[in-house]
Amino acid sequence: MTDATTEATHSGGSAGAVPAEDPTAFGWLNTADHKRIGRLFIACSLLFALAGAIADLLVRFDLASSSDHTVLNADSFVQVFTFTRDALVFGMLIPLFLGIAIYVVPLQVGAPNIAFGRAAALSFWGWLVSAGVLVGAYIANGGPGGGFSDGVDLHLLALAGLVISLLTGAICVAVTTLTMRAPGMYMDRTPPFAWSALVTASMLVVSLGVVLGQIVILYIEHRYGPRFLGGNYGIWSRIDWMYRTPQLFIYVVPVLGVVAEIMLAAARRWVFEPLALYFTMGLVGLFGFGAWANFGITGEGDDIVDGLEGIVLVGLYAGALAGVSGLLALLGFTLWQSRNRPRPRSGAVSLTRPNTAVVAAFGAGTLIAVAALVGLIGAGVDWLQIAGRGVDGNAPLRFTTWVTGQQSLLIYGAGLLGGLAALHWWAPKIWGRRLSELAGFASLLAIGGGALLAWLGPTLSGVFTEQPQFVYGAPLLTTRYASQVDDSGAEGLSALGAVGVVIVLVGVALVVLNLLVSVAMRKGAATEADPWDGLTPEWLLPSPPPLGPAAALPELTSGTPLLDAELNGNGLDGTGAAAERDAEEVPA
Amino acid sequence: MADTTGLVEASQPGRYSVPGPPPRPRSQLVGTGFAIAAGAMAVAGALGHYMARRHASGIDPGHDWLAGQSVPNPQLVYALITLLVSVVTAHWAVWASGRGERGHTWVGMALTLVMGLAFFNMVMFSLNRMEFEIGSGEWATLAFAVTGLSLAILIVGMFYLGLMTLRSLGGSVGRDRSTPLGAAVFFWDFAVLAWAATWYVVYVVK
Repeated sequence: MTDATTEATHSGGSAGAVPAEDPTAFGWLNTADHKRIGRLFIACSLLFALAGAIADLLVRFDLASSSDHTVLNADSFVQVFTFTRDALVFGMLIPLFLGIAIYVVPLQVGAPNIAFGRAAALSFWGWLVSAGVLVGAYIANGGPGGGFSDGVDLHLLALAGLVISLLTGAICVAVTTLTMRAPGMYMDRTPPFAWSALVTASMLVVSLGVVLGQIVILYIEHRYGPRFLGGNYGIWSRIDWMYRTPQLFIYVVPVLGVVAEIMLAAARRWVFEPLALYFTMGLVGLFGFGAWANFGITGEGDDIVDGLEGIVLVGLYAGALAGVSGLLALLGFTLWQSRNRPRPRSGAVSLTRPNTAVVAAFGAGTLIAVAALVGLIGAGVDWLQIAGRGVDGNAPLRFTTWVTGQQSLLIYGAGLLGGLAALHWWAPKIWGRRLSELAGFASLLAIGGGALLAWLGPTLSGVFTEQPQFVYGAPLLTTRYASQVDDSGAEGLSALGAVGVVIVLVGVALVVLNLLVSVAMRKGAATEADPWDGLTPEWLLPSPPPLGPAAALPELTSGTPLLDAELNGNGLDGTGAAAERDAEEVPA
Repeated sequence: MADTTGLVEASQPGRYSVPGPPPRPRSQLVGTGFAIAAGAMAVAGALGHYMARRHASGIDPGHDWLAGQSVPNPQLVYALITLLVSVVTAHWAVWASGRGERGHTWVGMALTLVMGLAFFNMVMFSLNRMEFEIGSGEWATLAFAVTGLSLAILIVGMFYLGLMTLRSLGGSVGRDRSTPLGAAVFFWDFAVLAWAATWYVVYVVK
């Protein structure tokens, strides 16, 4: 990865008073600078996206044939199935947005560095090592359903390491937002992405904490027995709530922050009611608390939850849907309000000149709303036992591949599209270069289209084909699912999903290629401080900001200082340049 | 102030003022609060699992499930009282630190740490006396897991207290400099509470 900031530090010749940040390659190992840590998270999480999508492809290929296992075998199917979720959630989705938050949030709130810089570095290295151990455990025939007992234990330890590492990083982000804002920037003026990062970090703390307690019990139970929780096959049913809705909504709250950032910049206008912006994002996070839906625990006392689990799920999806739709309505109204604003300067982001970031953000926000709506319908069907769902021989939707569809929509669709939008939007700030728009649009189409197919296939299969409670209801029988795909249409629908994943994979590869060419090979156009006419404080800073903590801080009074300056008519530099520019560019 | 980082363009009037890095005394306290929230959810999740299994066992809780094992309650109660007293001494240390009284601070922290060690001694004695083996049954396995989680949190708390005590020994005392110690004591409060909950659920209600 290119270290453009190193050049800035060197050529600037003004870093004397700044605590030294080793500019050599060794500096990447011992860094405590949020900019390097953020980049490391982003780069490595994209590699996990590739690994997870490839594993998902193997699983879906296996489900696309009515004959016995075609790609995998009975032993490896469960492990590849669970590895897919591990890689896509703990390897890609959470760390990708954590990395972006670690980079961007301190700049947005005017902090000199991330809070507890060493802890943030520990978060990254702990996550990377744990992820490596996790992969090793799977290779050694460990993981849920694994045949090598020590490998299963190792998987649980690695999972605990992943959770603790990501929790550490999340706490650093949350503390930065809460306590390190520039003087004058109050919480109700925080930039949308910083707020969304705070919401996600807070919800990760309370939800991943729960799974940590579960992992301790599962580890003791599996290692020392007696295996009253099912041993290696009992693991998945007790932790799979982390990989499915509604918990997935927590992970994609930062996507909503990205959507809000980009849409408001396109509107060049702040929302009429900022508290509504913060409230709706908080609502999505709050109702994404998936531990409530952890029926692996609560289901053990059936009389406790009978009749309640359906209501809980319906309520969670309804709350999430209310939050997402409220936010999108608020942003849409703001865009409508700004319809008569003067044409922005060349290069600035706007709806009339959409770029990859704008379209990807629009798509990501829409897909989250679709996921919440479909989730609400599915939970309602399960709760009301419509079409015999939940009675003998007709599994509730939440135990079928309908769940895989939800995962595809939120991980591939919202997650990857949101990540694509964020990378294109903040690439100038992170690497000092724009990403290729051509490659960006190609990856946008591939990821968006692929995600829709990857969603439709398993969703329709879950609704219309006969699926015993295999995959999600009884992990012990998961392998049989692959060998019992019947001819009721499940084959074709699984193949449709597999095609979608292939297309997503191409899209992710394009993103990685785009980064390599535009950033590492420096083919992307070098940019000024604010190439998009952004609103938030990070666009006041050089692109990219120099390494190391700042010796001095901007004095901010809101999360949109550039917009404030423009609306006050005095421009950023006190000369009224922005207002004059707008006036000149108004069409005759 | 001269631009030393490139972040501040003080040469452009009105764009930035340069107040310098503002004091952030609460970061450690807030960070500790988040860590406490995560730990509390871990303990709550584990205890919830324990209670769900007990409920699902369909037997008389605290009797059959224990399969005749006796719990040395007096010792465990003394251990809990020791912890509660250590909370008092810990807060004494923070109070003294805030007033700049180093001697009281160090005595308070030393007493807290000694009582923490005494607690571990007492708990280990009690567990050894119970003679239950991990894996000998469902209750033993779950009790070991939940107890181990709470004890691990207490160990982290003692480590945190020790680290902040060393920092106060290095001179970090006074009204504006006692927040780190206060954060460590905050965590210790939580660790004691977590143990109290575990003790009540696993060894009293059983």
